[in-house]
Amino acid sequence: MTNRNHATDDTLMRFAAGTLAAGPAIVVEAHLASCPVCRARVGEYEALGGSLLEEMEPTPLSATVLSDMLAMLDNEEATGATVPPPLAPVEIEGIRLPDALRGCDIGSWRWIGPGMKMSRVGVPQDPDANLILLKVGPGRALPDHGHVGTEFTYIVSGSFSDKFGTFRPGDLAEMDDDVEHQPVVDKDGECICLAAMEGKMRFKNVIGRMLQPIFGI
Amino acid sequence: MNEVSNPIEIDRDPGVPTGRRLAVVSSRETQQTPSPDTLVEMMMQIAQGRDRQAFALLFRYFGPRLKTFFLRWRLPSGAAEDLVQETMLNVWRKASYFDPERAGVATWIFAIARNIRIDYMRRQRDPSTLPPDPENRPDTVEDGLLGAERDARVRQALSALSPEQQTIVRLSYFSEKSQTEIADELGIPLGTVKSRTRLAMNRLRALLEDKP
Repeated sequence: MTNRNHATDDTLMRFAAGTLAAGPAIVVEAHLASCPVCRARVGEYEALGGSLLEEMEPTPLSATVLSDMLAMLDNEEATGATVPPPLAPVEIEGIRLPDALRGCDIGSWRWIGPGMKMSRVGVPQDPDANLILLKVGPGRALPDHGHVGTEFTYIVSGSFSDKFGTFRPGDLAEMDDDVEHQPVVDKDGECICLAAMEGKMRFKNVIGRMLQPIFGI
Repeated sequence: MNEVSNPIEIDRDPGVPTGRRLAVVSSRETQQTPSPDTLVEMMMQIAQGRDRQAFALLFRYFGPRLKTFFLRWRLPSGAAEDLVQETMLNVWRKASYFDPERAGVATWIFAIARNIRIDYMRRQRDPSTLPPDPENRPDTVEDGLLGAERDARVRQALSALSPEQQTIVRLSYFSEKSQTEIADELGIPLGTVKSRTRLAMNRLRALLEDKP
């Protein structure tokens, strides 16, 4: 598989290991829902995690851990298991968003430039997560910005192209800072994407840089 | 289970009808590593029979390894033991969701422990964060292969990597640092970290796809 429209193996491994930052992990999860190839790879990397777990040197546990647990199981039996209620679809102004955004705080669209809107996505389990939704009109360039860490972009609807090819709904674009690219939304419709960047402080800079030419700050 | 020959069945003493139980008990007595099939049997006994003895055996095998796993994240011993408990309680609660066709037992427990560690570390960073809800976390384990078959293949691939490449892989599992942060910390160019990682990943990928 070319990594172009998929997650890289390094990213999938860190996703499976649980060591990918919360923002990028949500973007990758959105892609996994539509990509059996990457899902299978995550399965392999989870199996690798299972191997690493089994080859751990055992560390003795306190004597009471097991008996405490067995006592807890008695209480479990009494209360019984609960079935989680069905979950509502995630939307922004009527547009269906990936289930990976479930539980996130999705703001409303804010104008950030001609033909360009942004919504900041709050991730409850990680307030520092750097996650945004972008809506860019047909034929318009995506915000021109450099990035310091890797940027992860999942295409929700529409499509955009750069000199390397086209990204369509369900695709994941993983762009390193060393990639020179100027993605432009294809002419047949607006494009909505979900984007996250690695790192905490860096995102502010990048967003700053992204908004800089727009607000003239 | 299915037609695939099952080592536990072979172990069965014809005079003892509960051969499965026998295999489980002997693994404890000899302190040997239980075979993947034995682990699956334990899970089935927990899921279907709510078998506490099987759960205790599974705990004896995985509990001390899970503790090491959590200690790798530099958690205090007490916290590590709490997380071992939390993980194993989830194993008990979610046992009916375990599907040997999708994942081996170690892989399934790894995924539970991973989610519990993530939630724990987020709670540490921000105590106001909601309590963990691993039930809503998607089970990502998925593959066309039988769980145990894949586990064996993956284990083999890992051992065929060079020591440096194994280190890179372990870093992915036991550190939340991005490549940029690793490069900063080691004082080596980001490009070097990237190219080494890419080489390790490509080699592992080739091994997993049987194209060494």
